[in-house]
Amino acid sequence: MKKISKSLAVILAAVMIMSLFTGCSKSSSNESSTTPESSTATEESSKEETSTAAEESSQETSEASEASQPTDEGDADVNNLPRNETLYFGGQQWGTVNTWNPIGTNQNNWVISTSQINRTLMMETLYMYDMLTGKMYPLLADGDYSWNDDQTELTVKIKPAAHWSDNTPVTAQDVAATFDIGVKVGNNIGNGYGGYIDSIEAKDDSTVVIHAKKNDDGTPVNPMKVLDFIVACPICQKAWIDTVSERNNGDATAILNDKAEDVVYSGPYHYYYADDQKVILIRDDNYWGQDASMWGSLPVPKYIAHTIFSDNAATEVAFKAGEIDVNQQFLPNIQDLWEKDGLPVSTWLDDVPYGVCLTIPTAWYNMNIPVLAENTALRKAIAIAVDYDTIIANAMTNQSPSFKDVPRSLMNTTDGEQALYDRDAVKDLQWTGNDIEGAKKLLDDAGIVDSDGDGWREWNGEKISLNAVCPNGWSDWQAAIEVVAAAGQKIGIDISTLYPEASVYSTVYSNPDQTDYDIFMNGTTSAAPSCPWARADQFFGEEYVGMQNNFSGNWGQYKNDEANAIVQSIPTMTDEQEIKDAYTKLTEIYLTEVPSFALMYRPAFFYEVNESVWTNYPSADDGRNIPPSDCTDGYGIRALYELELVDGQ
Amino acid sequence: MKNTIRQLFHSPNFVVGFVIFVGMLLAIFLYPIFHPGSPLEMIGVGTFAKPGLYISVYDSVNSETETLRLPDADEKRSGAVLSDEDRVAMIEWFGKAGVDTTNLDASDDAAVLELWKANYDPDKTIKGLTKAKRAYYRRLNEALANNGEAELYVATKDADSGELVEKSEIDKDAYVNTKDVANVKRLVLGTDNFGRDMLKELLAAAKTSLMIGLIAGSIATMIGLILGLISGYVGGIVDDIILFVMNIFTVIPSFVILILISYSLGQSQRGAGVVAMIIGFTSWVWTARSVRSQVISLRNRDHVNLSKLSGHSLLRIIFTDILPYILSYVVMAFILQISSGILAEAQLSMLGLGPKTTEVPTLGLMMSWAQLYSAHMNGSWWAYFPVIFTIALISFSLNLMNTGMDQVFNPALRD
Repeated sequence: MKKISKSLAVILAAVMIMSLFTGCSKSSSNESSTTPESSTATEESSKEETSTAAEESSQETSEASEASQPTDEGDADVNNLPRNETLYFGGQQWGTVNTWNPIGTNQNNWVISTSQINRTLMMETLYMYDMLTGKMYPLLADGDYSWNDDQTELTVKIKPAAHWSDNTPVTAQDVAATFDIGVKVGNNIGNGYGGYIDSIEAKDDSTVVIHAKKNDDGTPVNPMKVLDFIVACPICQKAWIDTVSERNNGDATAILNDKAEDVVYSGPYHYYYADDQKVILIRDDNYWGQDASMWGSLPVPKYIAHTIFSDNAATEVAFKAGEIDVNQQFLPNIQDLWEKDGLPVSTWLDDVPYGVCLTIPTAWYNMNIPVLAENTALRKAIAIAVDYDTIIANAMTNQSPSFKDVPRSLMNTTDGEQALYDRDAVKDLQWTGNDIEGAKKLLDDAGIVDSDGDGWREWNGEKISLNAVCPNGWSDWQAAIEVVAAAGQKIGIDISTLYPEASVYSTVYSNPDQTDYDIFMNGTTSAAPSCPWARADQFFGEEYVGMQNNFSGNWGQYKNDEANAIVQSIPTMTDEQEIKDAYTKLTEIYLTEVPSFALMYRPAFFYEVNESVWTNYPSADDGRNIPPSDCTDGYGIRALYELELVDGQ
Repeated sequence: MKNTIRQLFHSPNFVVGFVIFVGMLLAIFLYPIFHPGSPLEMIGVGTFAKPGLYISVYDSVNSETETLRLPDADEKRSGAVLSDEDRVAMIEWFGKAGVDTTNLDASDDAAVLELWKANYDPDKTIKGLTKAKRAYYRRLNEALANNGEAELYVATKDADSGELVEKSEIDKDAYVNTKDVANVKRLVLGTDNFGRDMLKELLAAAKTSLMIGLIAGSIATMIGLILGLISGYVGGIVDDIILFVMNIFTVIPSFVILILISYSLGQSQRGAGVVAMIIGFTSWVWTARSVRSQVISLRNRDHVNLSKLSGHSLLRIIFTDILPYILSYVVMAFILQISSGILAEAQLSMLGLGPKTTEVPTLGLMMSWAQLYSAHMNGSWWAYFPVIFTIALISFSLNLMNTGMDQVFNPALRD
């Protein structure tokens, strides 16, 4: 008996070891087939092996996710693009690309998403916005735009050279059709601008007249939003729009969800390959922009590629290894990359804050919560108790100017916006934080005291217990929220942190009736022709109160009729002093009523470049005035025409 | 009992484990007495301050000085600046900028420096030089400018005119005794990403984690013991039902259940105690299983049958005739449960499903934050290694004690 069991054990062990080996070999072959990207980095000798594995993987994935094969123009292996012809991006695309439809919604596609500002790699806008200076450079448009006297009609000429990928010219009819289909199907463009643009008329093939929506008294609703349209709306071809409408029988939902892999584009790059691991664009050598009236040349990199990483950490490793050239990602202590690791990495500025901070991550108070809605003192007390220096030094690792350098207001950190309000008039109201004693006094004076001796303050006999919320995995925001909670502890307000998944988070905060999140974090509009008005509108606009699926502004449901009236009157103001007074008054209300409070400044896009392969990226001190918008957005795309290879590449 | 304990302390395994464990307990409870204050206080503005002795610059300027003439002082000052790497880079720069280096002895620091000072111009544009490289040379140049040759002065602001008035020159041979400086802070383990004192936080976290382990272990052991005893002794349909439940829990990995429960609870509900309970409620299975099999083997012994014949109640038989025989085993299982409870908390927190973060530090949360701020990639070993080491040490000491006990209690292993 014992003998049998012994020999059985030996056999069993042998079987287990064998199965272990087969398991191993299987998993290793899986690995090479699912991550050909990493194996392509190895030496020439293993190339053959890798490419077969890669082929397998592309076949597999094409079967699984219907990713199509590369188009015929390029001859490069998608898994082994020539490094010195490819510019790799990072931190912009998460998950598989789901559509190429510029007139659709739910675009999880970094290249054509209309919720991003003015990206002109594949679809182009009329003008390119320079987020640093506010200047608008003509792209599809020819020369400057012109307003009529009462700012109700905006005329834009179309460049004669501009043509679509099918060689037909870009016309004024295309612009009109892009707007019309947007309104008809209700996409981002239609929803975002339908309230400000009445109609777009094609006067002739090359003249576009945009008719602004008017108030009852004949004044335009908001001319600034019309300007937003011409820098943010990707223009699509009328013929293609008609094709899409036809094949979906005019059904709005079907049009919005069309995959549109046949999209006709005007930009310098287009779809080459996409699967669950990467998106690759190839240069269109027939691009109209090489005409002397535009750039006069083609952009330098032949391929634009974005590897899809699972998370920030993986992106960071790839960026450090030089596998990503331009990275849009918050990297804590970015200076360590060059100071300690000696990597050829640089940012827009060589010193703190390393980038241009255009957006203001803000903590919003939920006015559906009575204790917050009814106690200005509580709102202000929490806001002045927060230690912003710690947030900026620890959460942002100094990649934000402090509130001592740029005092809090409705403005971003650019000089242009800072000049739009009277700093001295609100100087006494601007707090810099960590004012524990002041906060305690405010609360004591307001009668919010700890009456039962448990260390926590009560209101109407109940302990004030709040949560502070931001999405999970957004490390800098999470750290900021931790500091807010710590401030609460110091002044006797129980604030606990909560980090739901991002999808859950956005469903909750966009619901106007939510009472789940008391203090929650969200960014503001960064830079557009309509800023800072658009940002002020986000803080005070009452049109957002009660709006379902509100991703636009005033998430705290704050109502202040005086502030709202000022916000609504600004767009039609023309006198500079009047505008300045209005913004100053709004800032005053913002700082006394505290419907929300800024936690830090943050770049609209993080911009880090690794100069292992490419160089001559835009930087603050190079005198070229190309904004650091990741070489893709607005006028930032100029960078692609000036890139150079590093010696020896 | 006394004899058993004496035996225990003769087992080297047990003694080593016990000493480590008690040492840790002492550190956990004594350190806060000598260094009071909240472990979550963010003292550092900035992330990941290095471990070491921090001396207030302000106070040291105002402290009494002694003059010490140390022979290698100058060397240490400038030696810290020009490394081999820098020297190579400088020579490379000379090449790119077209500086004549034919007569230069590359190993002669002074000569290289002299040539550098004569030629380097930060505004000079050199073709083929990347921005990163340009910034590197500028930093290098700045570092060379402060190479210990410049004279430093202490100045104060005149109250009336606002001008700076020289107060004293800082002598290179002046030293202060750290005992004379009013503010000296030793950060044995540096600070974490929030600027918290790592050592203080670590000890507080170890305490919380031990509590979590203790609660989780107690719950798991209690449930396992009770179900095992009932199932094993009563048998029949009761055994079948309990065994069925146990099988379900065995088949589904308990960690998955743990994740699901933690996730569905939501963060606001998850205090350290709640997490401990969740861990306890999901990890009792194998204790129940082994207790059950031991009870089954005990159930038909003579003394149990005798009790049955004497008409003793079920509870009495279980507690007086069965429990004492398996008690040593239960104690050992309890220790292992504590250890696995601590590990489970760490795993949960790494996934972002641990206790909510503002109240108490736990070992898992510390690791989680260190990872979020890429401490493992930027070389801030003090932010995660001591945490891992503490977790390992706790598990190691508990397991050592367990092995020691096994040698004493298990008749098969007894010498």
